[in-house]
Amino acid sequence: MCTGSPSSNGSQPEEANATTEQQPQPEQEATEQPLRTPTHAIVGAAKAEEILAEYGSNLKLLECNSQVSELLTIIRDKNTTRSDFKFYADRLIRLVIEESLNQLPYTDCDVETPTGAIYEGLKYRSGNCGVSIIRSGEAMEQGLRDCCRSIRIGKILVESDANTHEARVVYARFPDDIGSRQVLLMYPIMSTGNTVLQAVNVLREHGVPEKCIILSNLFCTPVAARTVVNAFPQLKILTSELHPVAPNHFGQKYFDGI
Amino acid sequence: MSSITFLCSKSNGSNNHSDVQKGKPTSAFASASASVAVVAAAASGLLTIAVPPQQQSKVKAAAAVAKTNGHIDDRSDVTEPLYVDLGNGTVGGGDLNCCPASPTTVPTKTALESPMRRAGRRQRTTSIGNQTTTANPSECIIRANNRTIYTAGRPPWYNCAGQQVEPFVIGICGGSASGKTTVAEKIIESLDVPWVTLLSMDCFYKILNEKQHEQALINEYNFDHPDAFDIELLVDVLTKLKEGRKVEVPVYNFVTHGRETQTKTMYGANVIIFEGILTFHSPEVLKLLDMKIFVDTDPDIRLARRLKRDISQRGRELRGVLKQYLNMVKPSYANYIAPTMAHADIIVPRGGENKVAIHLIVQHVHTQLQLRGFKLRETLANSYKDQPMPHSLHLLDPTPQIKGLHTFIRCRNTSRDEFIFYSKRLIRLVIEYALSLFPFKLTTVETPQGVLYEGKRMSSRKICGVSILRAGETMEQAVCDVCKDIRIGKILIQTNLKTGEPELYYLRLPKDIKDYKVILMDATVATGAAAMMAIRVLLDHDVPEDNIILASLLMAEIGVHSIAYAFPKVKIVTSALDPEINSKFYVIPGIGNFGDRYFGTEPSDDY
Repeated sequence: MCTGSPSSNGSQPEEANATTEQQPQPEQEATEQPLRTPTHAIVGAAKAEEILAEYGSNLKLLECNSQVSELLTIIRDKNTTRSDFKFYADRLIRLVIEESLNQLPYTDCDVETPTGAIYEGLKYRSGNCGVSIIRSGEAMEQGLRDCCRSIRIGKILVESDANTHEARVVYARFPDDIGSRQVLLMYPIMSTGNTVLQAVNVLREHGVPEKCIILSNLFCTPVAARTVVNAFPQLKILTSELHPVAPNHFGQKYFDGI
Repeated sequence: MSSITFLCSKSNGSNNHSDVQKGKPTSAFASASASVAVVAAAASGLLTIAVPPQQQSKVKAAAAVAKTNGHIDDRSDVTEPLYVDLGNGTVGGGDLNCCPASPTTVPTKTALESPMRRAGRRQRTTSIGNQTTTANPSECIIRANNRTIYTAGRPPWYNCAGQQVEPFVIGICGGSASGKTTVAEKIIESLDVPWVTLLSMDCFYKILNEKQHEQALINEYNFDHPDAFDIELLVDVLTKLKEGRKVEVPVYNFVTHGRETQTKTMYGANVIIFEGILTFHSPEVLKLLDMKIFVDTDPDIRLARRLKRDISQRGRELRGVLKQYLNMVKPSYANYIAPTMAHADIIVPRGGENKVAIHLIVQHVHTQLQLRGFKLRETLANSYKDQPMPHSLHLLDPTPQIKGLHTFIRCRNTSRDEFIFYSKRLIRLVIEYALSLFPFKLTTVETPQGVLYEGKRMSSRKICGVSILRAGETMEQAVCDVCKDIRIGKILIQTNLKTGEPELYYLRLPKDIKDYKVILMDATVATGAAAMMAIRVLLDHDVPEDNIILASLLMAEIGVHSIAYAFPKVKIVTSALDPEINSKFYVIPGIGNFGDRYFGTEPSDDY
């Protein structure tokens, strides 16, 4: 489970000044503005350029259209029922996974269509695998399976020490040849980034180069993002939101329904 | 032997006030009959044209009839056998060519049924909607007899800019039992137009009160008087039909002399035929008619038919029938019906057996339809070259993933298993993207972490998916996967192989679809003809244009241009845009026939 608590994440000043809205939506009706001003509201994600400047090009955000915003909103809403929560979380996971797959290497490939014409397409290389961090990362396995039917999936169990909050790996099981594969590391919530650091360390011990790891993540705090980017500059990270408060209830609500 | 009387109110069609295309009718008639002898004087405006008997009109059996008058059933004896010999002895042979574009398993046998069998068929006005169970019969949409379903659907009823083209309205007037319906049927058959709406004036009888009802029982209520008809409603219905809109036509019950609670749903068509005894009585109705035909049958024959019908079919007494005829029917004919003959463009003596007259009428209607531009697909394919893409087009980012998926589904060697899997993935992405184009509003929610979160919610949860069968159906699952409890509507549009035009066969939409945001789904869009027809259907159901999103896996640039030009507010979503279409309207390089590949119904050699 996630280490750290929301209170331990002091919001960064540059995040606090960021705009509340990612992109102005033309469809948005001005009259539909919320009536109450959120007093404790923590401002939302930063703009794409700011992220590029702040964290480098290896941290990518899912294109935040209104649809994605709605998914995030429903997942964060404490009044969302469990079935709704799971439904919308699965949708978001699917989008994140699809986007993560975009980071995989590919080669050009021309095919002949049924009309006899040539389509200039591309082909992904085989030799990818998924690795989920137990337990919340397992929520993303189905999304990956829906996209890649027979992909191999490894698992890592990271536990944090009750007293020191220090994360350590207690279990890891991978395909034998993981060192020669592209690895899609799945972990939905990053508060401090410690868990992911440990997981990446294990992967590296098994011979996976840093640049061959893609981290699929749903919610990331700026602190965690900085920690991970600093530690592994070549690691590719894909997340749907950068927000100072992580929805730490994700795993519990998804699996336990609490 | 055969002769037709043209009656013009002044000389030679110069005052053809209702006709949109002035002068055209005359030329059409002139070309129709090669040897025409003008006998009568033009001064009186009455031309009698004698035509040699051997000049028979060859009548092709075709034409789907959308019919509403349910009670016409009990008048079948008035109707002569419906089908005219084609000359070579086969009946309805032409129908087979109009079968749907893709291989189907629907029985085409119906088209070959014997004339008598088909004459019997017309007694039932069934539609596909009626055959399936439905909570609300008024939602059973396409009214057609069985032939419509198998031979031809509704062709475009709008021009290439997506705008409604006014249908051609034919009014048929004539005394009781003069053979109006027969003439109408014959015109429909000979027209060879796939979609014709036949509206009977009998639907518009007024509801009788208690006293009138009693009068009717003793044959003292005058059903032949203009006051017996609800002219106001009639004008309203006819006007709407002429605008191409959906109308609810009342069903009159001759036993209770009231209207049934159920109504018949009708659609405008390229050709609308309106028949009744007092068709020409109301000046307002006259204005709506593009062509006015008067069926002039000998009074003795009409009386004989009426007696036979009322006694053998309606089980009435000879005395009562005669009383009604002498007291009401005959005076009404003299006072209200016969005088309206002056309004007629054409007078057809002897009703339905007058083949030459019907042939000439059909020729004229064909000329008019051509002038109105119902040829759609070709026009669409040849316009909009080298134009910038419209703003309403929303193309998914061409990420490696999307290109990779396209590579799989476009490759001709991809197995069906893989084709289905990868197209489903792609469809999911398209649908997710399409949803993001709906309006959202800002909202603030409480989180379990104790902070408020500013996010967005969709302004309206009322979303409806409408798939264009068959290929669009493949996208339904994805819509259901992303929207809980979404409603799904279906529209079946097939390409007529003979004309290359799309035809509407079937549609089933949620009742209050006008309140919904609609995701219209079709797997591929080539010329956009089918998509435009579907959008037109939605608009006819009062769905606002900007509530429609057209989602598709692959579109041709031409199709996008056509749709965007016709319906600029409809948002167009696609995952790929291809530059060309070939002569068979397949997108190049394209996917091939998506539906066939998905459902495994590929013909052995298609392209």
